[in-house]
Amino acid sequence: MKNPVSRREFLAGAGAIGSLLLVGCDANVYLPPKVRGGLMGVSDVLTMATQRLMLSGQPLAQEHDVSEITKNFPTWGNTNPRQEDFQGLLSGEFVDWRLPVNGLVNRPISLSLEDLKRLPQRTQITMHICEQGWSAIGQWTGAPLLEVLRAAGGVADDARYVVVDTFDGWYESYDMFDVVHPQTILAYGLNGKDLPLGNGAPVRLRVERACGYKNLKFLKSINVVSSMEGIRGGTGGINSDSNWHWYAGA
Amino acid sequence: MVAFCYLVVSGVHIFLDFPELYWGKVGFRGYDAVFRLSDWGISWDEAGAMGDRRWGRNYHFLFAWISVINGMIYVGWNLWNKYFHKNLFLDRNELSWQSLKTDFVDHVRLRAPEGASVGRYSGLQKISYLIVIFILSPFMILSGLAQMPAFTAISPELIDLFGGRQTARTLHVVCMLWMILFLVVHVVEVFVAGAVNQIRSMITGKYLVPKEDAE
Repeated sequence: MKNPVSRREFLAGAGAIGSLLLVGCDANVYLPPKVRGGLMGVSDVLTMATQRLMLSGQPLAQEHDVSEITKNFPTWGNTNPRQEDFQGLLSGEFVDWRLPVNGLVNRPISLSLEDLKRLPQRTQITMHICEQGWSAIGQWTGAPLLEVLRAAGGVADDARYVVVDTFDGWYESYDMFDVVHPQTILAYGLNGKDLPLGNGAPVRLRVERACGYKNLKFLKSINVVSSMEGIRGGTGGINSDSNWHWYAGA
Repeated sequence: MVAFCYLVVSGVHIFLDFPELYWGKVGFRGYDAVFRLSDWGISWDEAGAMGDRRWGRNYHFLFAWISVINGMIYVGWNLWNKYFHKNLFLDRNELSWQSLKTDFVDHVRLRAPEGASVGRYSGLQKISYLIVIFILSPFMILSGLAQMPAFTAISPELIDLFGGRQTARTLHVVCMLWMILFLVVHVVEVFVAGAVNQIRSMITGKYLVPKEDAE
């Protein structure tokens, strides 16, 4: 099997993660799908490795009181994908929306909104943090990503990333560390109502320990893979393809 | 110094992309702001056009690491060899009100030190260095961390300590302005005291004391 990280890039990050390997954890937890070259890669790995080490007990992100919910949760970025397939589903109030769950799952499935709502549910009042600087608190209701994968019969042994595609052409990948986190949910509700269009209807992702750009809106499909190589830019996300950090804990 | 400049410039780039500051946990465009760049004649779009936040974020985090590692070595080394004890911690004498007042007047009048006081830090200097090293720098690091989403899980207490994420962001900017003020005063003082000799001493550790009474 070809090493996903080139030797030079690996050496650049090796110093930083050397001591972490001694902890006995899987080194993948500390590395993005593709380490950037040069000093920037060293900085990325230092950040990700340090934060992942501090998150190793999988603590929950802070949950807030009902009184702290932001009224009129702001909408940002794309608020209504103009793609035809999306517009068709929107006019049918998403009755025909289906979320295919494919790739390295044991039983590929396609979930309707009703199917998703029948899965175990989680509601959390958390802060959305945009990498640009703003933040707002919302009450999200949805199905944990882990439950969705369970509904698909679980994942194969070599599964490493869950790739999520959206109707407006975005995509991001999430490693198993974030996938199994209880607060990683496919949210169909905001503040007790259906998820509004501007906030990513019918379903958006909540990855509470990551910046806004990892919290994709307008979900279209889920695909489980063993490597991000050959998928679009190969770096593991639309943001890292254009030279942002893949890891978005900050 | 280079890292500090990069941090300031990249920080400004990040700020320009969202040129408002808020107080508390929540803040977004349209929310009550404590500072709006648009009130100062630069519109949101103009600011956005000036700032490149992708470049800004990449370099901000890189130089944050460089500064933190550099700072840990500096503080660790100087505590180890007692440099801080010898040169930065104030003795009782220097802490007297009279001594500090004299220092202050000398500094404001841009009077360079003479005689025995050349080559050692004055009380006022020591206090300002101690503030930068042990208060402002850690404050910058912590208020930076308090803005990161991962810290909502790692240490929500840190964010609460600042009174919310937006307050941390605002104080991060205020603290940066204090550090720039320190830097400007510091540079002016270096020139007052003789730039060539001072900078040589910063790098080599040796300082030429001018001979007195050389007629």
